Amino acid sequence: MKKNLRFIIALWISKAAMLLQKLLGMNASYFPGKIAIKLCPDFLGRIDKPETVITVTGTNGKTTCCNMLLDVLGENGFDVLNNKAGSNVDAGIASSLISDASLFGRVKKKIAVFEVDERSSLKIYAYVHPDYAVCTNLFRDSIGRNAHTEFISSIIEKALPDDTFMILNADDPISSQLKPDNKRKYFSLARLDSDGTECRNIINDVRCCPKCGGKIEYEFVRYHHIGKMHCTECDFKSPEPDFCAVPDWDKGTFTVQTADGVEEYPLMSASKFNTYNQITVVALLRTFGLSAEAIAASFAHMSIVKSRYTKLEKNGIEVITNMTKGQNPVACSIVFDYIREEEGTKEVVVMLDDKTYRETTEIVTWVFDADFEFLNDESISRVVACGVRVHDYHLRLLLAGIPEEKLRCVENEQDAPSQLILDGTDKVFILHDLTTPDETKRVRDGVLAEIEKRGASK
Amino acid sequence: MKIEVLFPEAANLFGDCWNYRYLKECMPEAELIETSFGDTPAFADGDVSLIYMGAMPESAQERAIKKLMPYRERIVELVENGTVFLMTANAGEVFCKYIENEDGTRVEALGLFNLYAKRDMMHRHNSTVLGKLDNHFMDMDIVGFKAEFSQLHGLDTDVEALAQLSYGTGRNSETKVEGVKINNFFSTSIVGPFLLMNPLFVKYLMELIGVENPKLKHEEIIMAAYEKRLKDIKKMAGK
Ligand SMILES: [Zn+2]
Repeated sequence: MKKNLRFIIALWISKAAMLLQKLLGMNASYFPGKIAIKLCPDFLGRIDKPETVITVTGTNGKTTCCNMLLDVLGENGFDVLNNKAGSNVDAGIASSLISDASLFGRVKKKIAVFEVDERSSLKIYAYVHPDYAVCTNLFRDSIGRNAHTEFISSIIEKALPDDTFMILNADDPISSQLKPDNKRKYFSLARLDSDGTECRNIINDVRCCPKCGGKIEYEFVRYHHIGKMHCTECDFKSPEPDFCAVPDWDKGTFTVQTADGVEEYPLMSASKFNTYNQITVVALLRTFGLSAEAIAASFAHMSIVKSRYTKLEKNGIEVITNMTKGQNPVACSIVFDYIREEEGTKEVVVMLDDKTYRETTEIVTWVFDADFEFLNDESISRVVACGVRVHDYHLRLLLAGIPEEKLRCVENEQDAPSQLILDGTDKVFILHDLTTPDETKRVRDGVLAEIEKRGASK
Repeated sequence: MKIEVLFPEAANLFGDCWNYRYLKECMPEAELIETSFGDTPAFADGDVSLIYMGAMPESAQERAIKKLMPYRERIVELVENGTVFLMTANAGEVFCKYIENEDGTRVEALGLFNLYAKRDMMHRHNSTVLGKLDNHFMDMDIVGFKAEFSQLHGLDTDVEALAQLSYGTGRNSETKVEGVKINNFFSTSIVGPFLLMNPLFVKYLMELIGVENPKLKHEEIIMAAYEKRLKDIKKMAGK
């Protein structure tokens, strides 16, 4: 697509907006990109793109994977354009390209890593042609926006070019089927002790064969529809992985068997979810041409940014806040599962109301899709639900089989700390939504004050 | 007492499995029959008290139509003899005249009532709804949500409604007429899950299938959630 006058005007105005943002000390955002697309709807098509474009999409893990990719590439001498500061919709990618463009829309950087919102695929891939496209996984997400996995995968399928090299999750029978005629490499996480043969989650979107509708047999199920499976009625089965991570939790490493031999990488945390992120990065970067040694060296001193997680301690009791992506039942279930598996006696404060809906009424459908059943565990002595929708959570927790005597329900979040047992508890988890950082901090401080006041200890 | 759930392996979106899980919680003595695409429906040659189907992807709607078409006459008979059907989200469309795609192609459906569904996969209609059950059979406030790609349109207006809305989108964006009621066949595109949002309707269904003095599981809590939502939506609707 050629650069026309309309494009140049849009570029200059958006660049001016970007400069103004900077002068006012505002953070970079998708705003300049939004202006550019408003003024020139095919702006993304007209602006130059770096020689190599890598996109990362998927329901969970895309931000973490992008951050890791940027770190490893950066340490290996690449100057990478990215949309970390903006957003993962078309305007965010436009902002990122504007920031790097010359006054005539020429690109300076040679390589870009863009996080792409699944729902925005059509608007983005129509103009931004990825050389490599990573899809971490596809799960059920917000019902209003993402509908269901069949819909989301059909959008990505339609939008991605036929010559993009795909990096896909062999353990996900939904996203592994994307762009079947494109060149591809598959990553996977080898069977773990914690894997089962029956799905323990409410949501399993591959209960019948995606190809023929026939009966599915799982060799193992990790969570939801993730696992290794085959159809009993046709040839549909999980693809064979090219990069299969075999973790050694005690040693703190994982190995990958390739044609060149066995590669060993340090684990950044003993979590299956993060191992997925790491093996995704390995699959992409090894395919891209980086050496195993270079990637391993970067992993060795990288740590997971826990922006969604804080931990304080008082009298030996750990008080943990964990941001849980509301409206995304799978992300919530992952957190509930993680809490259950944590050692010690635990108490949980559930404050997942989305503040944006305080004056209206939030669609609570996701609450019923999330596995609150995981909080029904001997090691969890109390669950305090709070917020405007407290009765919905109360009902959900009862339906999950949690005994009434373990439950406390209060409408005002700030009343939650007084409802905890505290004495003899090892860990208090405060699960909160993205929209309530201030309330969360106050609840956390309230818990610490309550421990002090009562002289409680673990 | 038998509750038959059709195609739960696919028709389980948006927490809809809780519609029948909750019925079972309220009626532990009831037998829950989960009929997969590969099974012969229990209603085909036996009596069931209630037949339920929930939200599903568009491809599953088409499979459901194919699977149920051979039993069309039996379904008509069951509806006529007053068997209770509950269809939520887009499940009811399986029983309309036809489903029309964006390109004008049609999928012939079971044709139980004279409405057709129109799909528009690039536009999702989301809304919060408030209404009353059509007052010729019961005075009851109905609340819930909608999140849909397809909406029902009329070939004629004689199809009896389930509810009249005062807020939110009905069968389609141009009407406040919601859902379909033919004898005890109830269809609504409300999600939430519908029954958990509307506990009084659960009681009504229980009475219909012969439970005397129905008691709801966790009655106090589910009623509190309902009253609170009703209040909030009424406020939001400016009523
Ligand atoms: Zn098959």
